Amino acid sequence: MKIAVCIKQVVTREWQLRVNEAKTWIRDRDASFELNEPDAYALEEALRLKEKHTGEVVVVSAGPARVSQVIREALARGADRAIHIESDTLATADAVSVADAIASAIRDETFDLVLTGLQSDDQGFGQVGVILAEKLGMPHATIIMEVQAQDSSLRVKRELEGGWFQWMTLPMPALLTIQSGINQLRYATLKGIMAAKKKEIRKVTPSQSADSTQRILNVHFPQKAKQTQMVSGSPADASRELVKHLRENARVI
Amino acid sequence: MILVVGEQRGGKLNRATWEAVAAAQSLGDTVKVVVLGGGADAAAREIAAAEVTEVAVVDAPALADYTADGYVTALASLIEQQAPSLVLFPHTYQTRDFVPALATRLGRALVTDVTAINRAEGRTVYSRPVFQGKLGAEVEALGPTPHLVTLQIGAFRADAARRGAAAAAVTAAAVSVDAGAVRQKPEAPFQEARQAVDLSQAERIVAVGRGIKGQEHLKIAEELAKALGAELAASRPICDAGWLPMDRQIGSSGQTVAPKLYVALGISGAIQHLVGMKGSRTIVAINKDPEAPIFEIADYGIAGDLFEIVPALIAELNK
Amino acid sequence: MPNRETLDVDVLIVGGGPAGMSAALRLAQLQQEKGGEPLAIAVLEKAREVGAHMLSGAVLDPSTLRRLVPDFVAKGAPLASKVHHDRVYFLTRSSKLRFPITPPPLQNHGNYIISLNRFVKWLGGLVEAAGVDIFTGFSAVEVLYDGERVIGVRTGDRGIGKHGEKRSTFEAGVDIHAKVTILTDGVRGNLTKAVVRRLALDAGKLPQLYAIGIKELWEIPSGRLPVGTVIHTMGYPLRMEEFGGAFIYAMPDGLTSVGFVSGLDYRDPMFDPHITFQHFKRHPFVASLLQGAQMVRYGAKALPEGGWHTIPRTHADGLLIAGDAAGFMNSMRLKGIHLAMRTGMFAAESAFEAVRANDVSSARLKSYAEAIDASEVRRELYPVRNVHQSFSHGLLAGVAYSGLSLITGGWWHRDPMPAHAGYQRIAKLDAYYDGHRPDPDAPVRPAKVDRQLTFDRLTNVHYSGTRHPEDQPSHLIVHDADVCRTRCRSEYGNPCTRFCPANVYEMVDAGDGTKKLQINASNCVHCKTCDIMDPYQLIDWVPPEGGGGPQYEGM
Repeated sequence: MKIAVCIKQVVTREWQLRVNEAKTWIRDRDASFELNEPDAYALEEALRLKEKHTGEVVVVSAGPARVSQVIREALARGADRAIHIESDTLATADAVSVADAIASAIRDETFDLVLTGLQSDDQGFGQVGVILAEKLGMPHATIIMEVQAQDSSLRVKRELEGGWFQWMTLPMPALLTIQSGINQLRYATLKGIMAAKKKEIRKVTPSQSADSTQRILNVHFPQKAKQTQMVSGSPADASRELVKHLRENARVI
Repeated sequence: MILVVGEQRGGKLNRATWEAVAAAQSLGDTVKVVVLGGGADAAAREIAAAEVTEVAVVDAPALADYTADGYVTALASLIEQQAPSLVLFPHTYQTRDFVPALATRLGRALVTDVTAINRAEGRTVYSRPVFQGKLGAEVEALGPTPHLVTLQIGAFRADAARRGAAAAAVTAAAVSVDAGAVRQKPEAPFQEARQAVDLSQAERIVAVGRGIKGQEHLKIAEELAKALGAELAASRPICDAGWLPMDRQIGSSGQTVAPKLYVALGISGAIQHLVGMKGSRTIVAINKDPEAPIFEIADYGIAGDLFEIVPALIAELNK
Repeated sequence: MPNRETLDVDVLIVGGGPAGMSAALRLAQLQQEKGGEPLAIAVLEKAREVGAHMLSGAVLDPSTLRRLVPDFVAKGAPLASKVHHDRVYFLTRSSKLRFPITPPPLQNHGNYIISLNRFVKWLGGLVEAAGVDIFTGFSAVEVLYDGERVIGVRTGDRGIGKHGEKRSTFEAGVDIHAKVTILTDGVRGNLTKAVVRRLALDAGKLPQLYAIGIKELWEIPSGRLPVGTVIHTMGYPLRMEEFGGAFIYAMPDGLTSVGFVSGLDYRDPMFDPHITFQHFKRHPFVASLLQGAQMVRYGAKALPEGGWHTIPRTHADGLLIAGDAAGFMNSMRLKGIHLAMRTGMFAAESAFEAVRANDVSSARLKSYAEAIDASEVRRELYPVRNVHQSFSHGLLAGVAYSGLSLITGGWWHRDPMPAHAGYQRIAKLDAYYDGHRPDPDAPVRPAKVDRQLTFDRLTNVHYSGTRHPEDQPSHLIVHDADVCRTRCRSEYGNPCTRFCPANVYEMVDAGDGTKKLQINASNCVHCKTCDIMDPYQLIDWVPPEGGGGPQYEGM
């Protein structure tokens, strides 16, 4: 089974965001980066499928030189090779541009399965995977919690809302977007890290970019919709005051 | 004309459809609704109570059960027929599954997870969260209309949707879907949890997050819930860890609730959680991190150690 | 027995800080210069990323950098600014006195203000480009021996649950065997601590003296402080009996390092370094600098301040120790990066020769100590060998001696000047407060927290970017927690709750009217203060699962 996994590098969740001068994106000059969490689960799922059914796992990432960090991490965890779509703009581009660039980079290789994370921690479009499927002419299923590969088809468990799930069968080649928590992430091993150095990273330059479908006018810290009343003091004092508010003002108890 | 794509399962209308109708009405254009799939008739009659010009029903054997291919095929031809100025969807697990493909097939822009729409000087600006809600972004959709927009659950108020003087006409739309175009074969949905708890009916909820630190500490949250007459719920990490069953989970992958009182214990307030509870009438947040985003939406906040505050709160309530 | 992976290398460097990276780079250079069969070299680093656990002021004396990377400017060394202005103030409660001249040790002409995090990231880039393997996210938990000879280290098991159970992702630690192991595991490094004990490398040496540095990175309006300004203060809020002081370094774009160093040899068991830092920021001089500004990052780390006489023997069979791990820091100049780098380079040179000669005995590796003795490292550290010890007699005695030492070359009638470890100096509550015991759960000198200028510990920890997977055993081993609730509570009032800057140690209600210790291990910023300062020496800081800890971007 030949599997492509699309991975994105995002700023770490612990990093204190700061907005750039133009207020159009964050100031990520001295940010720390990591692998987008849902993508880590997608990679793990691919590695498990490969272990079970044999084949090849290829990671694909779009962005500037710094994304080699997550590419190397993926190779260290066991991916066989990588495709780096080198671009300074794609890391913050709209979903269509990114999907377009990935589709061009992988179209000529015939993958049986393409995996992406559910959505990214930064833009959070939740679109790239599904658009990519459409562009590659593959059927897709999203928010997947379990994958069973059969001969030429997949039986997958989709998460619906409110604790509901659904099994679905689709023919391969197909694209799945993977939900966090589908599996337990493995650790990179020393041998894996050393082996990663010898693995192929094919660099491609996006030929021409698709027309952007959206533009960020500004980003900002969320405005407080309601006035929050902070209650302070010792636990006993704060509790007394809070209960008074809930009884007398909010009237909810 | 703004087209709202409603959502239903087995004839039961998803309440978020009302929110999308409210959003559409607020833009001052005429509003049409379309409902797809098996049982769509019943759902269509429910939403026909809204002040809309028409509710179209698209039903075909190939649409009996939801599939991305079926919905994309049906809606692509419906939208081309109807030529709306804008298409609105609730941002649900279902729309996340097919709308990006639909937008691609139509060659139109899609803006997801939108919390506000502002129209001024002929320009439409959408607000949406980025960085998991730590920042808000104002974005503009580019390219030919209609643009497609999914609306964050709870961002628009269902009860703000205007009702019509009389029920709107429910019509059958002439859209055919070739069953051969549908590549996904769905099975019947099922619930994973053994004992379903319907938190959406609860008047008061005490929800715990990562800050509770260990399963053994859940009992103080249970005691607080008891003292308040509340149901116990949790954010995703708690259910992931197996400390509470998944049907107690509030948030984008769990239940959406709007109780009278919501007490968030040790919940930082990731957007995935907020979307499931921000419609609550009164929100109390207790968290050690004073910068936690949960305080942004709380009515009352205590920045401090929940292991100190909750016992004092129980004592106060039991006085 | 778990199925352990093993890895064989020629030289293993444990700790990817300035010493370790300099050692690695020097080894790669020697390889290039001398040719021959290439050595297998590996660097182990517990942080998730190179540089993530680096914390310093920092002002860099570029002397070693010039030796190691002569074309450092062309290679893009991230030096934030040259030092243009030096000021030293003595603070009183409400005003400041400027020292008429900047004392020579604090003159920084020709030095650079840097972010150590960025600097080490850059060094790491050079090391990787030279073909050396850097393994990040791996903590070393144990030194491996063959008799008395060090033969490598074992990395920590990963995937162990809170209660010691193996999770499905369990991955046994790896035994890395090396001909020479260079320990550069930093201040109070867990491996250095163990090996010094086992091989008695500190025989005849004074106990190390430490300090804790707490630092915040601020964004202040540009122009408020000229770029390249270096300010040091003494005095308030410390009292005469306490050693320490503050630093304020101005970098471009209003980015400003503000930090406070408190000696970990105070007597008052109620002393609180975190609160002391808050008092410092509330001083009118500092508060006006930070008015309307934004704190963007926080960190804390111990410093080895004891100097020359506290440095253990730094070589043994198969072993070298360099940098802060050994205590190569000049506390009078508040500088150690260049010494860490220099000793790292010397260690590399000795290790390289020894491996090539196929003789890694202590006798052969002694060339490392000899190189240091013949170098500027000794020339810099020896004259100030008694300085920190002299401060244990109070600020005035310390300043007087320090001044004198500039003339006398550090002579004292008892040389080495005797000293006790900090944990031995801390007084008991009854003795220090003469029977008027304060409440151990309330600060004696509280500082107002406004979350603009001053912060509580947890808010600060949040700004350190610290992250540890929750499902792992505590990496802070308290060998007898009963002592905490009984003896320590009554004798010292649980000073761990004060000297730990990260709220790791908390005394919580035991439910029976008494208090018991709760360890919030996931808050730990890896400063090592608890390991150093616990009066009973019952706390062992061991590395958590690799990759955990702070994220000190830009620090």
